[in-house]
Amino acid sequence: MTATTATLPRSLPPILTPRRGNIILAALTCAVLPPVTARLMPHWFTGSVAVFFAVGTSTVVAAMALNVLMGYAGQVSLGHAALLAAGAYTSGLLTSNAGFPLPFFRVPGGQSMLVGIAAAGVVGGLVALIIGFPALRLRGLHLAVVTMAFGFAMTDAFLHLPAISKGSAGVNLPRNITPSFTLVQDADYLAFALLVVLLLWLIDDNLVRSKVGRAFHGIRENDALAQAYAIDVSRYKLLAFIVSGAMAGIAGALYGHSILFTNGDDVPFVFEASLALVVIVVVGGLGSRLAVVLAATAFVVTPKLFDLVHVPEAWAAAIGPLLLMVTVVRHPGGFAELLGDLRERRHRRKIESERRDQPGADDDPASTRIPELGLVAQVAPAVKRPEVAGKDLLVVDDVTVRFGGVLAVDGASLSVARGQIVGLIGPNGAGKSTLFNAIGGYLRPESGRIQFFGQDVHDLPAHRRARLGMGRTFQNIGLARNLTVLENLLMAQHHIADYDVASALAYLPRTARVERDLEQRAWQALKAIGFEEFAYRKAGNLSGGQQRILEMACVLITGPELLMLDEPSAGMSPGAAENLAMRLRDLRDRLGRTVLLIEHNVPMVLDVCDYIYVLNYGAVLAHGSTEAIARRPEVIAAYFGEQVA
Amino acid sequence: MEQLGRYFVIGVTSGLIYALLAVGIVLVYRGSRVLNFAQGEIGTLALYVSWAITVQQPLPWVSTLPPTEKWLVGAVAAVIVAGLVGYVFERLVVRPMADSSRLSVAVATIGLLTFLVIFESILWTPNGRILPPPVAGLGVRVLNYYVSPTQMIAVVVVVLVAAALTALFRFTDFGLGVQAAAEDQATARLMGVRAGRVSAFTWTAAAVIAAIAALLIEPTIGVFAPGYISRLFVFALAASLVGGLTSLPGAFVGGIVVGVLDSLLVYVLRSTSVGDFVGTRSIPGVDTLVIFAIILGVLLLRPNGILAARRVRVA
Amino acid sequence: MPDKLLLRAERLVAGFGDNTVLHGLSVNVREGEIAGLFGLNGAGKSVTMKVVAGLVPAREGKVFFGSEDITKLTPEQRVELGIGNVPQGRQVFATMTVEENLRVGAVALRRRDRKRYAEVLAGVFDRFPVLAQRRDQVAGTMSGGEQASLAVGRALMSEPKLLLIDEPSAGLAPLVVEQLFETLRRIAATGMTMLLVEQNVTFGLKLVDTAHILQMGRIVYEGATASLDREQVATHLGIGRLLGAGLAGVGATNEKEEGRARKPARRARKAATT
Repeated sequence: MTATTATLPRSLPPILTPRRGNIILAALTCAVLPPVTARLMPHWFTGSVAVFFAVGTSTVVAAMALNVLMGYAGQVSLGHAALLAAGAYTSGLLTSNAGFPLPFFRVPGGQSMLVGIAAAGVVGGLVALIIGFPALRLRGLHLAVVTMAFGFAMTDAFLHLPAISKGSAGVNLPRNITPSFTLVQDADYLAFALLVVLLLWLIDDNLVRSKVGRAFHGIRENDALAQAYAIDVSRYKLLAFIVSGAMAGIAGALYGHSILFTNGDDVPFVFEASLALVVIVVVGGLGSRLAVVLAATAFVVTPKLFDLVHVPEAWAAAIGPLLLMVTVVRHPGGFAELLGDLRERRHRRKIESERRDQPGADDDPASTRIPELGLVAQVAPAVKRPEVAGKDLLVVDDVTVRFGGVLAVDGASLSVARGQIVGLIGPNGAGKSTLFNAIGGYLRPESGRIQFFGQDVHDLPAHRRARLGMGRTFQNIGLARNLTVLENLLMAQHHIADYDVASALAYLPRTARVERDLEQRAWQALKAIGFEEFAYRKAGNLSGGQQRILEMACVLITGPELLMLDEPSAGMSPGAAENLAMRLRDLRDRLGRTVLLIEHNVPMVLDVCDYIYVLNYGAVLAHGSTEAIARRPEVIAAYFGEQVA
Repeated sequence: MEQLGRYFVIGVTSGLIYALLAVGIVLVYRGSRVLNFAQGEIGTLALYVSWAITVQQPLPWVSTLPPTEKWLVGAVAAVIVAGLVGYVFERLVVRPMADSSRLSVAVATIGLLTFLVIFESILWTPNGRILPPPVAGLGVRVLNYYVSPTQMIAVVVVVLVAAALTALFRFTDFGLGVQAAAEDQATARLMGVRAGRVSAFTWTAAAVIAAIAALLIEPTIGVFAPGYISRLFVFALAASLVGGLTSLPGAFVGGIVVGVLDSLLVYVLRSTSVGDFVGTRSIPGVDTLVIFAIILGVLLLRPNGILAARRVRVA
Repeated sequence: MPDKLLLRAERLVAGFGDNTVLHGLSVNVREGEIAGLFGLNGAGKSVTMKVVAGLVPAREGKVFFGSEDITKLTPEQRVELGIGNVPQGRQVFATMTVEENLRVGAVALRRRDRKRYAEVLAGVFDRFPVLAQRRDQVAGTMSGGEQASLAVGRALMSEPKLLLIDEPSAGLAPLVVEQLFETLRRIAATGMTMLLVEQNVTFGLKLVDTAHILQMGRIVYEGATASLDREQVATHLGIGRLLGAGLAGVGATNEKEEGRARKPARRARKAATT
C-alpha cells in the first residue's frame, strides 16, 4: 500500500515495467485459465463450478468496493448490498431490453453486456450519493443507521416498485457482448468476470497510489487534519461514495450475468449480505485491499471446502461473525494488522533495544536536536503568492466565537505582519485554540473579520485557506498515524499535486510524473530532517518528539506563508524548545516566513517572538512587543491569577 | 372512515412493540453509547428457544400443560437464554472494548447479529415457524379491530416495563448510578459507581426486553424465520431516534408514533385514492422507505431527538 | 512523631497508546498535608492524577494507599478505600440536580453504611450553603464557581481520607478561585489529605504545604513551600523572565509585608497605563 512508483530497471525497454509485466501476465491468466480448464477437465470444471466462481468474483468486487469506503475513507455503510441490487437491475434492464434502450451497442435483446456493466457502475455511483450527501453531516453511528435504513428501503421498496421490478418475475441478464458474440460458456464468462476484477483492482491500486487515496486516508484519520492539508473534505467524501458505489454496482451486475437472471430478493441483495460484506472487510483488515480480497475469497470458498469434507456448509458461515467479534476485540486491524504486526514487531524490538541502550533517548533532556526546518521549507516549490496590501499578512478584527451559551472568544483582534513571529499566550481555557480555529476556518465566528493577504477569507472553508498559504499544526500532533512517514509527506503536498481525479484513477503519464516529483520532494524533506530510515514506518509508531518533527516537515513542505503553530513545544525538554525557537528564528530571518504561535513555554515565547498577544477569558488582555509585555502586571496576573484590582 | 380507526388501533398495538424494542435500544445506548444491532435478533432467538421447548421437542411434562402455562414455560426459558446471551456478550466483547471507539463495538454487535441468524438457521433450519399464542380467542373489539388477548397482555407488559425502569432510575441508587454512567462513565467511576455492574445490567436487561417484545409480537406477525425481528429493528431504531437515542419516554412515544404512522400509510395506500394515484395498491416496502426518510430527517435536523433528554451545557 | 505516608507512588511508567508520559515518577503524600503537582502542559501532572485515581493503568511501578497496594484496583474500588475525586473540569452530572449529584457521590457511603447518608449530606450542605439553597437545581445551569463547590461537595460525600483535585482553578475567575481555595484550606484543617494539580502557580503555591514540580514525566524539584528556592521553581516551570511579583509567597518569610508593599506600586502602574 505504499505510494512508491515502480522504478525502471535499466535492462528492460521503458514500456515494459515490472508492474506492467505483472498486469499482462495476470490478464492472460484470467482470460485463458478458465476456458482452458473447462475444456480440458469438463467433468470437474463444470458449468456450475464456473458459475460458482463467477458469483464469487461478485463478492470479491463488492468487498473491494466497501473497502474503499470503509477502509480508505473511514465512512461506514451497512447498506452496500442495495448498491449491488441497483447495479444488477440496471444491467438487466439494459441488456434485456426490458427498460430503456440506448442507440449504441445494440445487440439482439437489448444492449451489450459491456454497456450494461458500465451503466451499472454509473448508477451504483449515483445511488451511493443518496447516502453520500447525508454522510457529509453525519458521523459514525448515525451514518451507520442511515445506511442501514437505506439498504432496507432500497431492497424492500424501490426494487419492488412495478416500474423497476416488472413484477416478481425479475429481470434477465444475458451475456451478449457484440451482436454476434455471446459468452455462452460459463467458463468463458468466468474469464470475463476475472478480467473485470483485475481491471477494478488496478483502478483501486491507482487510487491508492495517488493523491485521491491519500486524501481518503486523511479524511479517515481526522477531518480537520485533512483540511489543514488543503483537502476538500466534502468533495472527497462524496467521491469515495461514488467510487465505492460504482464498484458495488458493477459487482451486482457481475452477479446477475453469472446466473443470467435476478429479482430483488436474491441473496447478495438482502440486508444480511450487507452485513456479510462488513464482516469480510473488517476481518480482512480495513484498508488493505489484498487482505480484503483474500478474506472475500475465503468467505466464498470455505462453505464448499466444508462440503468436501462432509461438514454442513452452514457451519462455515458461522466462522465469519465469530472471527469478526474476535477481530474487533483483539485485533481491530483484522488479518492485515496481524500480518503487519509481525513486521512491526521486528521494527518495534529494534526501536526498543535502541531505547534501552540510551534510556529515554528521545526524551532525554540531553537529546534536544531539532532539525533545520529551513531546509525543509526550501524544498517547497516556488508558489506565486499575492502581494500584500500594507504590511499585514493576517488581520483579525473583533472576532467573537460562541459555543451554545459559552463565550469562547470575545471580540479579539490581532494582526501579524509579514516576516514576524507573533506569540499568543494565556492560561488554559483562555480561548487561544478557539481563536486559532476561527482564523484557520475550522469554525465560524459569530462576528468579526479575518483578512489574509489583504483578502477577506470569511467565506473560505479551511481547506481553501490552507491552499492560500495558511499552514497549521495541531495540539495533539496532526499526522495520519496509519500512513507511513513517506505517505504523510506525500499527503501534505495534496494541493500541489496537479492532476485531476480521472487521471489519477487511470494513472496517466501526467499523474506518474507529478507523483515522482512529489516523491522526490518528500525524500528531500526526509533528508533535511534526517528521517530517511523511518520512511516506511507508520507515523503512529514514531516517538512523540519525532512525530512533532514530522508534523513540522509536513506543514513546511508546501511552503506556506503563514505558519500557525499550536503549542509546538508541548512535552519538549527546555533544551529542545530552545532549539525549536532557534529554528523558527531561522525561518523568519533567512526565508522571511511568518509565524503565529500559541505557547505556554514562556521563556521560548520571550526568546523568539517579536510581538505578543495575551489572551484571557476569550479577550485580548494586552499586546505589545516582547519587552513591553514581559513587564506588564496584567500579564503576570493572567498567568498567576492574582486579583487585578 | 371506520377503516381509519381500525388501522389506527393496529398502529398503536404494533407501536407498543416498537416502543418496547426501542426502550431496549435506548437502554444500551445510554449505558454504553453503543447501538446494539443484534437487539432484534436476540428476540428472534428467544422465539426459537420458546418454540424448541414448547413445540419442537417439548419435555413430557411440558406437553401436558394447557396453552397459557405452556407459553409461560417457553417464555421463561426464552427470556433466560436471551439474558444469558446479553450478559455473555457484555463480558466477553463490550467490557474489554471499554476504550475502543463506539463504532467498533457496534460492528461487534453486527457480528453477533450475523452469528445469531446463522446459528438459528443451523439449529432450526431457515423454515418459518409459528408459536401458539398464550391466550387464544378473538379478543376485544376496539374501533372496528379485534385487539387480541396477546396484544392486551402486551399493553400491560409494556406499561409495567416502562414503570419498572422509571422507578429503577428514579428511586434506587443503582438506577442513579446507571444514569450517571450514561452521562459520563469515567466520572461516575470516580464517584464509586461500579461501571462493570452497570454495563452488565444494561446489556442483560436490553436482551431480556428484546425477548419479551418478540414473544409479545409473535402472534401478530405469525410466521417467523431467522432475521425476522431484525426487520422490525429498523422501525424500533426510528422510534428511539425520536428521543435522540437517550430518552426512554421519547423512545416510548416514538414507538407509538412510528407504529401509527406506518399503519396509516398502509391504509392510505390501500384504501384511498392516493394509492391508485401512486400506481399500486400495496407496495411491500413502502413503509421502510418512509422510515428511511424519517430517520434521515431526524438525524440531519434534530440529531438530539425531537424529545431529547434534558441536555444542558456544563459551564 | 514520624509523619505517616498516606499515598505513595513509586517509579510510575504510564502513558497513552504508544506514548509514554511518565518515566519513573515517584511522589509521596504525608497524611494530613496538602501536596501540589506543578509543571507545564505535557509534563505529566494529569496523567499522574489519573494513575493514582485508577483511570490510567501504570505500566510499571506501584501505588500505595496507606499500607495497601492499589496499583491494580479499579477507580470504584479506590473510592471504597477512601479516595475522593474532584476531576479535571469538575465534571458535574449536568442533567442531574445538585442533590442527585451528591447522592451519586455517596454511592460508596450508602453501600457501606446507609444510615450515615443524611448526616454526611447535612455536613456538606453546611460547608457549602449555596448547594443547600439550590439543592433541586439542575447542575448544568449553575455557574462555574457553584459547580466547583458541587464537585468538591460531591467528592466529600464518600467520606474520603484523600482528595484528588485536578486543576480546580481552571476557567474560574480569580475571586472565585480565592474563595475555593479558602474552602479547601478549611477542609484540610479538619485533617483531610489532599493531592492537587494546579496550573495557576501562585495560587497553587499559596495553598499547598508541599510542592512537587514535574518535567517530562519526572519530578525534578520538590519540597515544603516555605523552603523552596524561588529561582529553582521559576526555572523548572520555565517562567524565568516573568518573575517578580508573581512568586511572592514562595521562600519569603515576610510574605505579607512584601505583598502589601507591592500593592500600591502595582496600582500606580495600572493607573499609569489606562
